[in-house]
Amino acid sequence: MKGQLKALLATVLILALCTFSLAGCAKGDGGAAGSGTGDSQAKDPYIVGAVLSLTGSYAGLGAPEQNAIEMEVARINEAGGIKGHPLKVIYEDDGTDPAKAVAATARLIDQENVIAIIGATGTGQSMGMRTEVDRAALPQVSVAGGTVITSDFDPLVFQTPWSNSLVVPYTMAYLKKQGITKIAIVTDTGGFGADGQAVLKAQAPKAGITITTAQTFNPGDTDMTSQLTKVKGTDSQAVVMWTAGKEAAIVAKNMLQLGMKVPLYGSHGNARTEFVEGAGAAAEGFHFAAGKILVPESYGEGTPAYEVATDFVKRYTAAYGKAPDTFAGHAYDAVNLIASAMGRLDEGFTSEELRAEIEKTSGFVGIGGTFTFSATDHNGLSAGDLVMYRVENGNWIVEK
Amino acid sequence: MARFLTPRILGRALPVVACGVLFLVPMLTDDRYLFKVLTFVGLNVIVIAGLALLFGFAGQISLGHAAFVGIGAYTCGYLTAARGVPWIVAVIAGTVLAGVGGFLLAIPSLRLKGHYLAMATLGFNEIMSVLFVELRPVTGGNDGLRGIPFASIGAWKIDTPAGNYLLVWGVAVVVLLLTANIIRTRPGRAMRALHGSELGALASGVDTGRLKTEVFALSAGIAGLAGALYASSVGFISPSTFSLEFSVLLIAMVVIGGAGSLAGPVAACALLTLLPYADALIPGLSKELIALIQDWEADISGFVMILVLLFAPGGLAALGRRLGGTSARGAGGVQ
Repeated sequence: MKGQLKALLATVLILALCTFSLAGCAKGDGGAAGSGTGDSQAKDPYIVGAVLSLTGSYAGLGAPEQNAIEMEVARINEAGGIKGHPLKVIYEDDGTDPAKAVAATARLIDQENVIAIIGATGTGQSMGMRTEVDRAALPQVSVAGGTVITSDFDPLVFQTPWSNSLVVPYTMAYLKKQGITKIAIVTDTGGFGADGQAVLKAQAPKAGITITTAQTFNPGDTDMTSQLTKVKGTDSQAVVMWTAGKEAAIVAKNMLQLGMKVPLYGSHGNARTEFVEGAGAAAEGFHFAAGKILVPESYGEGTPAYEVATDFVKRYTAAYGKAPDTFAGHAYDAVNLIASAMGRLDEGFTSEELRAEIEKTSGFVGIGGTFTFSATDHNGLSAGDLVMYRVENGNWIVEK
Repeated sequence: MARFLTPRILGRALPVVACGVLFLVPMLTDDRYLFKVLTFVGLNVIVIAGLALLFGFAGQISLGHAAFVGIGAYTCGYLTAARGVPWIVAVIAGTVLAGVGGFLLAIPSLRLKGHYLAMATLGFNEIMSVLFVELRPVTGGNDGLRGIPFASIGAWKIDTPAGNYLLVWGVAVVVLLLTANIIRTRPGRAMRALHGSELGALASGVDTGRLKTEVFALSAGIAGLAGALYASSVGFISPSTFSLEFSVLLIAMVVIGGAGSLAGPVAACALLTLLPYADALIPGLSKELIALIQDWEADISGFVMILVLLFAPGGLAALGRRLGGTSARGAGGVQ
């Protein structure tokens, strides 16, 4: 009897705890939603899923991406939506984890019935999602910069950042101009870094550059002194780092600690304020190639691209209190590429029709550059969309 | 209460009814997401059946079961995706390799008990985690292995969520029947004796060393089987899935379910697996609520585990028995 009572008590307690925590959660949410669906629009919304890294190593990339998408969705819906249909974006956080990105994609496709997918933030995550995207046959617009996303061609997959196959030759040409012919490369083992390493190794001979040593680190590592000590033992004239993770700042700091004098070059994966803030003094003199959004004047004042970019910078700064980085720009391009393709189609289109329409995009002036997709090119950008930046007093300066 | 509803009959009838319901689901709904979620439950149930045998009955803790699931998943994934090996062969290979892994881990662990065994298996899980990341030609490193084909036997391909659901639950039911059978017979009694007192078991003529290695290998093999099925039904695997976190969650399922029971851990497994996917079962749950549950998933299961240990050390199984008013006698093998 006593035992029974105790057991009953325990069950009640567990149940109470469960309902309590659920109720607590229900109360706690509220303001977080804000996908900004129009109020009394009668037509069904077009639902797009977005898989972004809001936590983990790429959190600094995913957050501005979500900001840009939310801002653009609100703008589109305030202007009456797409032929009267409001645009609705459902966000999923992949935690910078390919497995979570895949699970999130499955949820978006099967539970939310999305018609297209934006994401992921990272190359590894974008590639992992492909299995689900292929099985459901809907268009995916990735905001990650690995070449493999579009070179390992899938008709369903598009990419808005400059791929490594654009940025690496651009960076090498710049190095050559500085008289640098021997470089050490430090890359992460994740999708973007591994892709960067492969492209760097393939492009170096063509550019007349020798790679003295190729060092790697894993996402999540907290110290790169051992790799950099090996680099220090070579006669490299520069260190080229290829990573989009927050570990980039550690590489810069460790180089300073080891007293390495050679310059550090990065990639478009480092075009984030977190890097400059995280590396502090170690970021001074850091070079990287990226798009023009960091210094909109580099688009050329008065050009259509300049107008689009300054409008974006103005609205983003007003909404979020700081200027957008390149990652916000990639997400802006992704959501607008999808929305403009939807706008060109008749109502009731299928996923396949949407995919085909995105592929027809030509001369779309975005933030990353001017996009022209074709049946064989789903990146659609050119080296002319890039500039070389240098960090000076914590600011980005365009190298002439 | 009607006379025929005695606990014993209920205990026999319940699994049959549960099976009936499980296999009726595809006729009632065509919700792809629900099938995927229930497939995850089925996969975890398979692992839990093996872990209940090892931990719940034989009293040998393993904090390395996620690694065995990983061995099965990577073996099956690599063989089918990169080598074009027939699916059924790859699944058998994954199962056997995980079983061999369990056997090899069991040999040095024979001398270890309690915390030390927990530490050894935990270490094993960490070693395997590093291996899954660094053995890039096979595992694809951090980015994982993608494009793993669906299950297929000859020309017959199981490529729908409902098909995968039936496949996984079919295997789960067979595994549950086998483990229930083991528990009811001589090896099961030997395991309980080992759990109670190793010296006592030895004195009663149980070769405890052999028993431990056998049950460890079997349990690991079952985990490998679940991993192989996971690889083909999801189509993508990466190291983070098979981390220590998953091992701990598996142990939590057995603890919450109750040692010395099969039904308890299976029920706990279903509950904990469904927790982050509550929106598949309960329509209309807000996305924010689900996101919050997912964020707090580990905390919720940890908290429930503490409560269970404090108030109901026998877990769900003991609660069920006591609420049902039966004596705790019947060890509740299948119940």
